[in-house]
Order: sequence, then C-alpha cells, then structure tokens
Amino acid sequence: MPRDDFRRELNDAFSRISGNPSSDLHARVRSAIVDAPERRGPVWLAGVAAVAIAALIVGALFVVGPLRGHGPTIPVAGPSPTPSASAIATPSPTPSPTSSLPAFVCATSSSLNGTQPPQTAFVDAVRGGVNTGYDRFVIEFKNGEPATVQVVPQNNATFTQGASGQTVQLQGSAGLLITIHGADGHTQYSGPTDFHVGSGILEARQVQDFEGVVQWALGLSQPACYRAFWLTGPDRLVIDVQTS
Amino acid sequence: MQRAAQGDADAFATLIQPLLDPAYRLAAVMLGDRTAAEDAVQEGSIKAWRKLGQLRGDERSLRSWFLSIVANECRMARRQRWWSVLRTAEPRPDQAGADPALSSDLKDAVLRLPADDRLPLILFFYLDLPVDEVARTLGVSEAAARSRIYRSAKKLRPDFQAEEVS
Repeated sequence: MPRDDFRRELNDAFSRISGNPSSDLHARVRSAIVDAPERRGPVWLAGVAAVAIAALIVGALFVVGPLRGHGPTIPVAGPSPTPSASAIATPSPTPSPTSSLPAFVCATSSSLNGTQPPQTAFVDAVRGGVNTGYDRFVIEFKNGEPATVQVVPQNNATFTQGASGQTVQLQGSAGLLITIHGADGHTQYSGPTDFHVGSGILEARQVQDFEGVVQWALGLSQPACYRAFWLTGPDRLVIDVQTS
Repeated sequence: MQRAAQGDADAFATLIQPLLDPAYRLAAVMLGDRTAAEDAVQEGSIKAWRKLGQLRGDERSLRSWFLSIVANECRMARRQRWWSVLRTAEPRPDQAGADPALSSDLKDAVLRLPADDRLPLILFFYLDLPVDEVARTLGVSEAAARSRIYRSAKKLRPDFQAEEVS
C-alpha cells in the first residue's frame, strides 16, 4: 500500500474510533480547572511551608525529649504508641488542599443555609467534573446563595419530575436529590439540564424548576458518600460524590 | 503562560484550550471509549494545572508535556479497566500474520494493538506531530521514537519501511 494511502486509511480508522468530543468538553475542562481545590496557590509554597512546619515539630520533639538519644528509630512518646506519632515524623510534603472542606457523609441527608440570600437566587451555570476520588457537581448562582438547600440520598435512581409528577429513571442504581429553595433555574441559565459527569455521577438531570424551587437529581453508579458545601466568588453549590 | 504560572486558572484554561481536541483524539483512540476519553482529558487537565510548575521550557513545550500527561491518564484508566486490556492486548493468532490493512478492517486492527503501540502511531499519524515532538511526548530519544513508530506501523502494514518515518 502506498505511503499516503496508509496514512489516510490509518487516520480514517483513528477518526472512526475517536469521533468528535462532545460540545461541552471545553467548558467542562475549564470549570474543572477553576473549581480544582488545589488552585489556591503555588505548590512549591505549600511544600516549603509543610517542610518548615515539619522541621519545627521535629525540632520541638527533640528539645522536649522524645526524639533525643533513642538511636535510629523514631520512638513514640508516651506509653501507648499511636499512628499519629509516626504521621508527625513523616509529614506529607504538601498540606492537604481539601482539609478545609467538609467531611464526606454517607446515607444521611444534608441541609445548607445560604448567607444573606436574595429573594430569588438565579442559577447561571451548572456543570460537572471528574476529580481524583470524587465526581463534582456544581450549580453556580448569579446573585448570591439561595435560602436553603437539601441533599437527600436514596438507594435507587428513580425520581419524580416536578409539576408533572411523572417518574423519571436516571442512569445508575442510587441517587441524590438536591432541592434548592428560593432559586430560579431558567431565567439566567439555558445550558444542558441532563448530562453525564463521570463514573460516580452517571447522570445529572434537572427535575424541577417552578415556584422558586429548583431540583436536580443525580444518578449514581452505587450508593456513595458525598459532601455538600458552598464556594464563593462566584457563589456556587458544590456536591462531591466519592468514587473511591 | 506567565499568568497561568502565577496561579491564574482562567489563563491556564485558555492556554490549553487548543490542545483539548488533540488530547481527546489521543485519549479516545488509546482507550477506545469516548466517554472515558473525555474523563481522561479532564483529569489530565487538572493534573497539568497542578503540575504546571514542573513544566520545563516555554509554550512550545506545552503540547508534548500536556499530551504526555493525558496519555498517562489513559494508562491509569486502562489499568483500572484491566479487563479491557485483556480484551484488546494482542491480535488473535489466526490474524497475527495477515496484513490487516488489506485483509480486515484497519480500525479493528488498531484496536487490537496494545495501547503503548497505538500511542506513537496516534502522535505521528493522527496528530501529525513531528518526530522530535513525538519523542518528547513519549519521553524517549528521537531515534527511539522513530523505532517505536516503525515497529507499531509494521504491525498494521508488514511492508512498512523505516524510511517512511520522517
């Protein structure tokens, strides 16, 4: 086969395999980068800070006594050794960027109250992202946090469409229902209302948007722990669903 | 680039935007799964953002650096989907000696190649990268990159010549 033919046919095969990326890939990647918790500052600065803190702790332990004159092994102060003692001796090079985030909760409902909520908080973006260990679902508000948000887990992916009362079946075997009071999902937002996020959140779909109540349903691959919290600048409701 | 290096996430997102399509095409062929490919591109983008301080060189180095991160994401994704590796690792014995381009669908032949054999072909033929950039993406010398392209292409077209890698 001539060289050019091989290249053309091979590229045709590649094209048939890959197709084109979905239209929201660029927006999805951008939002994932902007929402990445690690964006708070240069990594090297965090590394330097961690090393300095570790040095101070080790120095303090040495002065106080536990690390003095015990040979090459690091002893644990006190009569009952604990795992935390060895964690001090070998600190992580960088502090956990997610340390300020709330803990994941499992099989329990969550409730969030907005700070100084407007009469109606207008949704102006909804997106999902895949991160190491969790999938992230984000609802962004144009003019402030809504009054209240409830997140209710369920052990199936069947939800009720608001207004019509029709049953909707999302992908997955478990779900989360996010109910936002004091919100409007249609005036400022015209993006997708049903999309795939990742291996944990198989489907996100808006199931209600009327009378000041917006509901989004998440279809999960399995019952999973999650955390719900606010981020600001812009105001965002964030739901992280654990994937590992 | 400077703004991104100073921690401006929007600037970084803008910087890599032209690279997302080639990264997706690379991932889609590596994984043979379009949804998983988009996940790999997204995860690779986040990792690139976190590792931006490790980038050596300027914007000209960005493409090969970014593609190498996405390729690594694909390898990790394949390890997690070990069954797919088993499914596509080697050509079936009855087809191993045939010329796939002539005797069967080239697409299937590509999918039967191990992912690490696909990668140099994707970079050289599909993304049309010059050999030196293929080498940087693979993390090998130019000579080794030429050799890998040649060996992989020969599995698809047995009469492929080394001189065709130029």
